[in-house]
Amino acid sequence: MRLNLYEDRNNVDERVDIYYAKMRPVIKQLIDTVNSERPTLSGRPADEDLDDGEEIILDPKEIYYLDHIDRKLFAYTRDGVYRLMQTLSACEQMLWNYGFVRVSKSNLINIYKVKQLKPDVNMKVYASFDNGERICINRSYKKSFNEYLVRMRRMGQ
Amino acid sequence: MSDRTKQFLLELCCVYTFVSVMGAIVNIIAGTETNNANVLVMFATCAIATFVLYLHRLFDGVSPLVMIIVQYLVACALIGLMLLALSILVEPITPRGWFEYFRSFTIPYIFLAGLYYYRVFSETRKQDALLKKIQEQKARE
Repeated sequence: MRLNLYEDRNNVDERVDIYYAKMRPVIKQLIDTVNSERPTLSGRPADEDLDDGEEIILDPKEIYYLDHIDRKLFAYTRDGVYRLMQTLSACEQMLWNYGFVRVSKSNLINIYKVKQLKPDVNMKVYASFDNGERICINRSYKKSFNEYLVRMRRMGQ
Repeated sequence: MSDRTKQFLLELCCVYTFVSVMGAIVNIIAGTETNNANVLVMFATCAIATFVLYLHRLFDGVSPLVMIIVQYLVACALIGLMLLALSILVEPITPRGWFEYFRSFTIPYIFLAGLYYYRVFSETRKQDALLKKIQEQKARE
């Protein structure tokens, strides 16, 4: 995508025009940014030794997956684990445009961070990430996961 | 009637219709005939098979392999009970009869389980390829 920036100090009507062939996730993300609706997640380090009381803004692009354990929501990034204050379903709604899809009752994964989808010998299907971790794709969510991939592919074409 | 019962009965109707139509076709081709007892056994077998397959919702947390094995054992136990009842109430079943019945149940079960196994692997391969395309698309943008 080509980006043109025009600086005009006398401009009183700042605007952003987006020319697109088809509405797709990246365009929706740009719209969110212009409308200041870009989702941001704030969390605190799950490790109490690293928690200095300040909330850290997390970019969804940096998150590998979200895990809901014992009524607490955690975001896993390359650098660490953060506890979020949102609910998993709120995150699911907020982040579906950003490649996040539900794969089990307690997990939301970022498909852009998945290195490989692979079944085990026991027929469980796992999504492996480049940090070596893997998350099981539950059978009940297999259909919706597949539909999500097809939709994302179609939207991107 | 609960939604689950309705769903179960609907699935049982579909399975029994399919099996009886297939049975009729086989009878026409082979020139054989069936009797009332066979029809009832066929219905009972369909009910057991549908019930056992219907249990898959209870096994969401375990691996499909474990689910297949447990379902097979449950099906074997239920079929064994059915045959025992038939043996007592209708006509004693010979050891050969038991063996034949379990064999004719086990072979299609193993075949279908293998098919399921293959489907899991092939579907995952397709999903993985789709995922790679989405990631390439994103990288281009």
